[in-house]
Amino acid sequence: MSFRDYDKKTFIADAARDFAARRISKRDFLKKMGLAGVGFSAFNLGLLGSTRPFRGTGPIGDAAYAQDASMTQWLKDVSGPFKGTKIRYTSEATPPTVVLDKLKGEFTEATGIEVEIEIVPLEQVLAKATQDVQGQLGSYDLYYLDQSWVATFSPDTIDPIAYYNDKPDLAMPGMDWDDFAKPLVDGLALYEGKWAGIPFDIPIFVTMYRKDILEKHKIAPPTTVDEFTAAVKMITEMEKGNGMYGTGLQAKSGHYSLNCDWTQMVWNEGGSIFTKDKKFSGNDEAGIRGLQLYQEWAKNAPPESTNSTWDGQWQMGASGQVALINSWDEFFPGWDGADSKVQGLWEAVRPIRGKPLRAVADAGFGEIPNYGHQGGSILGLSKYSKNIDAAWLFMQWACSKDIMVRCTLGGGFAPMRLSSFADERVKAKQVVGPGTTRHLPIVLETINNDIASEPDMPLWAGFSNNEIPVALGKLLTGQDYGGDAKKCMDDVAAQIDKAVAESGL
Amino acid sequence: MSAAAAARAPWLSRFITSEHPLPWLLPAAALMTVFGIYPLVSAFISTLYRKNAATRKLVFDPDYNWVKVFGDERMWNALMNTLIYTGVALVFQLALGMLIALLLDSDRKGYGFMRALMTLPLVIPPAVTAMMFLMMLNGSFGVIAQGIIWTGLLPDNFSILGNASTALPGVLLAEIWQWTPFMVLIMLAGLRSLPKEPFEAAAIDGATNVQAFFKLTLPMMSKVIAIAVLIRGIDLLRAFDYVKVMTDSGPGTATETLTSYSGRIYFGNADFPYASTIALLTLILVIITSTFFMKAFKVKL
Repeated sequence: MSFRDYDKKTFIADAARDFAARRISKRDFLKKMGLAGVGFSAFNLGLLGSTRPFRGTGPIGDAAYAQDASMTQWLKDVSGPFKGTKIRYTSEATPPTVVLDKLKGEFTEATGIEVEIEIVPLEQVLAKATQDVQGQLGSYDLYYLDQSWVATFSPDTIDPIAYYNDKPDLAMPGMDWDDFAKPLVDGLALYEGKWAGIPFDIPIFVTMYRKDILEKHKIAPPTTVDEFTAAVKMITEMEKGNGMYGTGLQAKSGHYSLNCDWTQMVWNEGGSIFTKDKKFSGNDEAGIRGLQLYQEWAKNAPPESTNSTWDGQWQMGASGQVALINSWDEFFPGWDGADSKVQGLWEAVRPIRGKPLRAVADAGFGEIPNYGHQGGSILGLSKYSKNIDAAWLFMQWACSKDIMVRCTLGGGFAPMRLSSFADERVKAKQVVGPGTTRHLPIVLETINNDIASEPDMPLWAGFSNNEIPVALGKLLTGQDYGGDAKKCMDDVAAQIDKAVAESGL
Repeated sequence: MSAAAAARAPWLSRFITSEHPLPWLLPAAALMTVFGIYPLVSAFISTLYRKNAATRKLVFDPDYNWVKVFGDERMWNALMNTLIYTGVALVFQLALGMLIALLLDSDRKGYGFMRALMTLPLVIPPAVTAMMFLMMLNGSFGVIAQGIIWTGLLPDNFSILGNASTALPGVLLAEIWQWTPFMVLIMLAGLRSLPKEPFEAAAIDGATNVQAFFKLTLPMMSKVIAIAVLIRGIDLLRAFDYVKVMTDSGPGTATETLTSYSGRIYFGNADFPYASTIALLTLILVIITSTFFMKAFKVKL
């Protein structure tokens, strides 16, 4: 199958998935299908149902969308030589990207620089970036880099701090690099002392619960793994007859989402993915305990969990199927959406704590064990771009204070900048309703205290998308290992240690 | 060609308008070379390199990927899944296709409309069909899953696609639903082109419908069936869409086919040489299987 063919098929699938998850409207879905060369009969159209809004976006008023006048002036002043340039990058359909895609017209209007954002599934973002850097093609001017790929692509990006200092004529006034939350810079952008890009997106694990259900059963909001497990079991037992489970998981076999769940379980039990001598340690005592506990949670989750990614997990919360979730904070605004049947019923607290954490010094490849798994991303400036300066302008604009606040207001997700958390407009939306920001104080606390980070190593993108979640899928769905967590992890250890040794890391 | 150009190269103008086969073959040969042979050769050359995942350097190591692929348990599992997927889908599509074609092979009023209806599933893109079945097979709210659960065959909320033993049948359901009409159309075309005389003679001799089907219809339809099986078989050996959308090769590797495994290595691990090796292996499988089939059933294309 050609890359183009693969691309088209996954584009169609992704658009369909987005439509099913109500992230895009029927109009957008049909437009995308049209782009992919797909036609619909009247019958098919009937199957698509009615138009629903993007779950994270709420009405925020025109004022919030108005671009800061000084920003517009600066863009006009510096962009002259780049008028007519087109810059491209590819990204997953994360909330900030979706909102930025809507706002980018303002940048084009001020600069004359066109921006094309290809929104594709995560694995395609990785594939496209990989192909680009492998051939040093410069097809993409910016790279959207998931935190698990930063080490892989760090050699292919330009350090934004260095570039900012080297090009004072293109340096955006008031960029204020210290405004980026330090844990985010350390956990996301920094690799071997270099900024591989600018932090752009920070979904992070927090604990979320249905307050009505917990109150009904007189359960206090859980703060520890043990309390969470006990509550999950109790709710499943009491509510299963009503179609409700204690928790829901993003345990789709072979998907990165399962890897995220698993890493958190390992860290919660005091383990790590690698030891300081660069050996896989998911099969040590703490790792096994973590996986066994996850198997326990799976028994108290909707069976569809083993075929669900973060989308499915969000749906479980939205449909009232689960009462507790230890997962991405980004779920929260959607549950408060105007058409949500659980509006105002979910609450967020800092992620549950488990056993004492393994020290960072005892973990390998820059891994940071902690209770709040972060799944953030950065925007990296491609070394191979043919329009570096135009892309640099866009990158600064996209990560500026003004745009970050407006992206947060547009979707309710966590910003990267401390000033965005403190912004009055953001604070004003800390109420129940579409695009709520009422979970953000908890998110900031989690970022400052609990942020965890997966290993920074070039092979991690492959391990976390293939070897680990595939083996976990085999275990959780009964395809292999006979339910034995140790057997599963020993198998993963053998594969990973061999690959690490072969690569010479 | 302009007169000046023709004057500069008179042999070219003569060559193009001559009866020599080359001018006629060259355009097709050029296209074939660019779009067929070059990618194939390029893919083969890439299999001769080993990629270092850390440094991204390609090292010439001609037998590395080929030795690795034959010792790769996942490849054998994917091969087995591919063969099971192809075999089961073919049997169901062929049997159902023939059955429905026999039912629709009539000139009575309304049958033409029903035959036209059979084309509907074929116009839906496979990825969209897969999404529809993904939802219909959802254990919590899917109409098919709920129907099966209601009969008591599966426990409450059972995840068909999230269970290693039921995922492949789940994916096959979408595949069979969408492509059975293709078989129906081919069979119908074959059935409607059969001469009537042998059937009339058989009826006069007292043959039953069943006897007529096995002694006349099937033998006379053998070439049509063989071609239909060949076309679908080649397509099925490259199964990707339904697997990608519905299970992404999971749970574990329960629905992983050769193409989906190759895709995962290519797009997940970015190991282009090894992914090319698996893709070439799939191509070899398709060529061997179809050649064997064409010889065995004396199919001439």
